[in-house]
This record gives sequence, C-alpha cells and structure tokens, in this order.
Amino acid sequence: MSTVITGRALGLLVCRECHCPVRALNVARPRCPRCFAHLHMRKPHSLAVTTVLLILAAILYIPANLLPVMYTRTVFDEERDTIMSGVLVLLHSGSWPIALLVFVASIVVPLLKILALGIVLYSAWRPAPQYRQQRSDLYRLIEFVGRWSMLDIYAISLLVTLVQIQSFATIAVGWGAAAFGAVVVLTLAAARTFDERLIWDERK
Amino acid sequence: MPSLIVCPACDLVHRGGAVPLTERTCCARCRATLHRPQGADIDGAIAIALSALVLFLLANMYPLVEFRVNGATRETTLIGAALGLYQARHATLGVLVLATTVLAPLAQILGLLYLLLPLRQKRRARRQPMVFRLLMQIRPWTFVEVFMLGAVVALVRLSAFAKVVPGIALVCCGLLMMSLAALTSRTSPEQFWHWVARSRE
Repeated sequence: MSTVITGRALGLLVCRECHCPVRALNVARPRCPRCFAHLHMRKPHSLAVTTVLLILAAILYIPANLLPVMYTRTVFDEERDTIMSGVLVLLHSGSWPIALLVFVASIVVPLLKILALGIVLYSAWRPAPQYRQQRSDLYRLIEFVGRWSMLDIYAISLLVTLVQIQSFATIAVGWGAAAFGAVVVLTLAAARTFDERLIWDERK
Repeated sequence: MPSLIVCPACDLVHRGGAVPLTERTCCARCRATLHRPQGADIDGAIAIALSALVLFLLANMYPLVEFRVNGATRETTLIGAALGLYQARHATLGVLVLATTVLAPLAQILGLLYLLLPLRQKRRARRQPMVFRLLMQIRPWTFVEVFMLGAVVALVRLSAFAKVVPGIALVCCGLLMMSLAALTSRTSPEQFWHWVARSRE
C-alpha cells in the first residue's frame, strides 16, 4: 500500500479532541486553533506508557482473582468469597443469567482485555502489514467493553453498606477487591494511552 | 483547509467537501467513524441536560435500596455506597465509586449546561475550549449504566437471605442512565464545535 497518503506524510496533525486537521510543519508546540488542545503527531510515549500500565494490570490480575474480595461474617461462621466463588454462589442460588453476567464482566472481560491489549501492543512494537483491520477492531472492542468490569466493585460497595447488622451478619471488603479495582482502572488507562494509529503506521 | 479530513484512528487523508452534515461517514481504510451526524439542536440538548440534573438530584436524595431482616431495616443512597467502602477501610475504592457514579455525571451535566446556556444566546462561556476539553476527558469515566447492573447483582445476592426493596432512587438512576446516553450522543465534539461556529455567524 504505497499509494496511501497519511496525515504524517503531508505534515497534517489531527486534534484528538475535536478531530480538526491542522497543518503545523515547523511549529514548536502546536495547538488546535479550535479547542487549544496540544497537538502531537502521535500520542507521546504511547507504546512505553501503555506497556507499563498493561504489565502492572497483568501482575495485579493474579491477586485480584486469588485473594478474597469479600468476607461474610455471620454468628456461625465466616465465609471468604473470591470473584469466582461469588459467581458460584449466584449460580447455586438459581439465578444463572446474573451468574453468567458477573462471570463475563469480572472474569472474561478483564482477561480478554489484558490478552487483546498484549496482542495489539506486541504488533505495534513490531509493525506488520497483516491483520491490521482485525487488530484495529480488537482495540475498539477493548475500548467498548472495558468499563463493564467495574460491575463487581459496585455490587460489593452496595453489599458492604447494606449488610452491617451486628446481630445477623457483616460483610467486609478484602484486598482482592482493591486489586481488582486497580486492574480495571489500569486496563482502562492503558487502552486510552495507546495510539491506534500505531497499528497502521508503515515501518520506516 | 476544510476540504481535507484526516482519520483520527489510522491517519489516512480523505478529500472531504461533499459530505452532507446529516450522514455518518467512515474511514475508507480502517472503518473508524470520520464524521458523526450534526443535526442535533441545542435546545434539545439543554432540555435533556436539565432533566438529567433533576434525575441526578432525585437519585442522590432518596435511598437506592432498602434491606430488611429480623425487623431491622437498612437503606443506602448512592453516596452512602461510596461511604460504606470508606468505612470498610477501602477509601481508594470508595473514591473510585464516588468519582465514577456521582462526580463524573454531575460534572458532565453542570459543565454542559455552563457551556450550552450562553451558547444558545450566541455568547461564549468563560474558558469555553478548556472546559469542553476537560468534559471530554471526564466523559469516558461516567459509569452510571455499569452501576445499575451492579445494583441488580447486589439485589439478587441479598434477596437470597432477606427482603430487599428497590427504592425510588434506583428508578431515577435508570432514567438518569438513559438521559446521559442521549446527552452524550447529542454533544459530540464535532456537534459542539459546529454549534460554536454557527453562533459566530
């Protein structure tokens, strides 16, 4: 695809905020004439920042799944719930659609996000002309589904607040929930710092 | 150079010109949206923002859910849920919940009203470009719809061992979710700057 004309080849910058094309060849710190946003040919340090965020997320994904997210103390015993055992509780109480929802939002989506961002990043480090459209689609899917992983955090926040009846039961938050929250925020941030145009850039 | 459109997703340059304002166009190479329809009218956006503001206040004033067991009753509001995490010694999670379900939607609604009300009278709000850019940065962190589903999950888990009553605020939250979605689709950056350009004519 040598006939493709890119903004970079013409010295055209695009404003990330308002999508306004700007010609700025020899300007030191160009800004968008419409919304005054700083302009960059590509997001600065996109690859490095995204890689660091993604590695942190992948590390925290382990305690997020192994550590308990919630302790339920009743008069009789104490129960520890990890994310997966929370799904099983829902399944046993007979509400399989909700169990499926939580399984997809808290287990499948974060794992998929980490793997997919890994694939997209790897291919951006060593650009190849194949499967560009698929990688772009994968990246847009990550951006779209990412927010739904917060579901479990919200459910836990409500459970903790409501179940504080001393004589009956109390629910405490475990460190798994904090790790899980960090994974969600880190993967969301990683998706935002990645510059999609790196998928399409030709190798110099 | 208004006749050139550069794809924000793959940097391909397109020749614009004959693109009608009411149609959605996609990039020829990567199929990203190049141009969203700009047919929304500013009065409609203001009306939706005002109703979202009312719904936001209702959703925060009344209890979301009520939980009854052994004659004791507990209820919580949206802010109460964030506070509950804070009291459970997980303040960072509490801040995360507060920011994504209370602060981000409120900033979104108030910020748009601050920009759109003067714009309607062909005036410019102070620091208009900066405020709008800030709003666009906050926008992806508005998670009201995710919170709604999270509330449903919590209700199902609790209903196994106690009586749970959904409150008025939960309904308001659902309606707030819809009005925020409508507001977002009507105030894309392209649309906003189109209104600004028109107000200068």
